[in-house]
Amino acid sequence: MFKELDPILHSQLRLAVMSLLIAVKEAEFTYIREKTNATAGNLSVQVQKLKEAGYIEVTKQFKDNYPQTTCKLTPHGIEAFEAYVKALQQYLQAGQS
Amino acid sequence: MEEDKKLTEQESLELITEMIHKVKNTYHESGTGAILWGTAVGIAGLTSFAQRHWNFSIGFDIWLIVLVAFIPQIYISIREGKNRKVVSYQEAYMDAVWLVFGLSIFMLTFYLNVISGVTDNFMKQDDSELLLRTLTTGETRHYAPSVPSGYSLLLLLFAMPTLTTGIGQKFKPMIIGGILCYVYFIISCFTSTKYDLLMNGIAGITNWLIPGLILRDRYLKGKRC
Repeated sequence: MFKELDPILHSQLRLAVMSLLIAVKEAEFTYIREKTNATAGNLSVQVQKLKEAGYIEVTKQFKDNYPQTTCKLTPHGIEAFEAYVKALQQYLQAGQS
Repeated sequence: MEEDKKLTEQESLELITEMIHKVKNTYHESGTGAILWGTAVGIAGLTSFAQRHWNFSIGFDIWLIVLVAFIPQIYISIREGKNRKVVSYQEAYMDAVWLVFGLSIFMLTFYLNVISGVTDNFMKQDDSELLLRTLTTGETRHYAPSVPSGYSLLLLLFAMPTLTTGIGQKFKPMIIGGILCYVYFIISCFTSTKYDLLMNGIAGITNWLIPGLILRDRYLKGKRC
């Protein structure tokens, strides 16, 4: 029986954000935008969805009078990502056999 | 990148690999801190050697520049921290290692400054003192010995890996254990060996036993789930 792929993560930009954040402790919004080549508006919406799902923690503060947004994965987000990768592996193994 | 583009399983896996690869080599150390400390310690060590070897004095303790170097180091650390757009796990651990190293150097300097006076006080309490006699003149004078307290230094060593692991893993029991160990170390600078040993035992409990039991409990709970 295959596990259903998490719909929150099974979207290109959200998965890219999660994959980036799994590899680092925390990253600024501008850094994520640069690495994903997404528009600020689009990224902002997806970050909000991940935050609402409890997968990432978003911290907003001011740096040199400019707003700075930092994102990091929550333990729940790490669990969800690991479960997603496990489910992906199952699908791929089934495809090979 | 599109938000709702339908991905195949293979594409998902490729995207995960690509993003992880993009951030893999994020760690960029500017080297400013290393240059600063290398210069300060290099000058202090070589000047100290030169003063002893050629028998001259510059009139002040050259090692004070190492303490002075803390000020620009704090400024550099804050500035570099502000300019970081991403913090990798490697950087977070390196920060913890150097923070603990700085704290330990500070503690060691404190130890080296107080240990001589403390030993002298203990001897006075035992109604004894050390005298130094010059063989040629026969003149004697008071000598304040500096007996190293091995058990105090052990406490300093105990604190280092525990606090580094605690900060790196964000594991509060080990952060508390590490800080407590520094507190025991300071106290042990003023106590006799008997109490130093007592604090070594207490440090073992607060540093490792309690955090270890908490970890064990979490491990067993995780295994049951």
